[in-house]
Amino acid sequence: MRPENPEVVDRLAAEYVLGTLRGRARRRFERWRATSPLVEERAAFWEDRLLGLAKGTKALTPPPHVWEGVRQRLGFVERAPRRGNLRVLALAASIAVVAILGGLLYWNTFGPQQLTQVASISAPSGTRVWTVQVFRKTARLTVRAGELPVTPAGRDYELWALPTGGAPVSLGVLPRSGSAQRTLTEVQQRALASAPQVAVSIEPTGGSPTGQPTGAIVFVAPLRSVT
Amino acid sequence: MIPVSDSAFERQLQDLLGRCAAGDQAALQRLYELASPLLFACLTRILRRKALAEEALQDVFVSIWQRAGQFQVSRGRPMAWMVSIARYRAIDLLRHERLAPVPVPDLPERSDPEAVSASEEDWVPAPGLLERCLGLLTEQQRHCLRLAFVGGSSHEDIARLTGNPLGTVKSWIRRGLQSLRQCLESVST
Repeated sequence: MRPENPEVVDRLAAEYVLGTLRGRARRRFERWRATSPLVEERAAFWEDRLLGLAKGTKALTPPPHVWEGVRQRLGFVERAPRRGNLRVLALAASIAVVAILGGLLYWNTFGPQQLTQVASISAPSGTRVWTVQVFRKTARLTVRAGELPVTPAGRDYELWALPTGGAPVSLGVLPRSGSAQRTLTEVQQRALASAPQVAVSIEPTGGSPTGQPTGAIVFVAPLRSVT
Repeated sequence: MIPVSDSAFERQLQDLLGRCAAGDQAALQRLYELASPLLFACLTRILRRKALAEEALQDVFVSIWQRAGQFQVSRGRPMAWMVSIARYRAIDLLRHERLAPVPVPDLPERSDPEAVSASEEDWVPAPGLLERCLGLLTEQQRHCLRLAFVGGSSHEDIARLTGNPLGTVKSWIRRGLQSLRQCLESVST
């Protein structure tokens, strides 16, 4: 870690907030900020003070589907029904919607594919890195990879459940792209049932040799119940 | 010391962020209603493509929901915190998309008090302070800072847009920020 010369910290923080600090220097500053209270304090100072530069920006209302997307990504809803715009169709559609919703409710409550928990693992910038879904009834775990940071050579990312009052329990190595499905063991199911969070650590290829995280924990995300 | 704004609007945002941290989904919806028009405008100014700005806005609210517990009133205003999340996301996307820089033509060089809408007063609750300090900068310094902050332009973009050498642009920005800091800190302490 470099020495914290206040002048240097302040200059970098200002350019970071302004947006002119780019590329690797920007990434480095973000990591520095996460670990140094002084750097964090200067960045927050500039974020607060430079807000006024946005003056003159005219508010722009985003289209409704954006909010629907946020709700879906956070697991707030399954999928919103679309509204028909013809009156005659509307009645038929409402009946169909009621039937579908009833079916969905039945499926979600009693069906085998009931999604019970979800975690969206994101970088500080908001980039989605992995989405984790837990299906308790079928003891399945699915992980979908998003935009991953570069994996250090010879290393893998490993997912952990962090049960309250217990040691982390491995949920396996994470995929670098696409999605992966696996069946949960009883130990993993129990850990997930009482875990408010999941974490990701960097491990040797194939996963931690000890059964506990051995490398740096790089992400922690809340695990939310969907029901 | 960062003065904590006591405007009713900021207090409302603060309260909503606290409820988001506790997992209150209705609070996020209200926060979205209040903040998304400004955040979407900031994203659109930087990204210039509607579809991309919409995607980024989703990223921003997912991030706000997940990080609401980390927001600290003592560090600044909630809107500043959210605008930063949005701007940083947009800047990261620019890196991937390699979008051509665009000038910011409809940006007034000097603020026109008549043009300030009522809603804007809500989220810029301390008019005058930054304005006063900006007034101490040279015309070029001010222009560069606005191009970077509002348009998401890099040093290189600004040099191209304004037709000035890269070194000159860098030093205008560096000196502009230095003067701003001296001015802002002398006022707030």
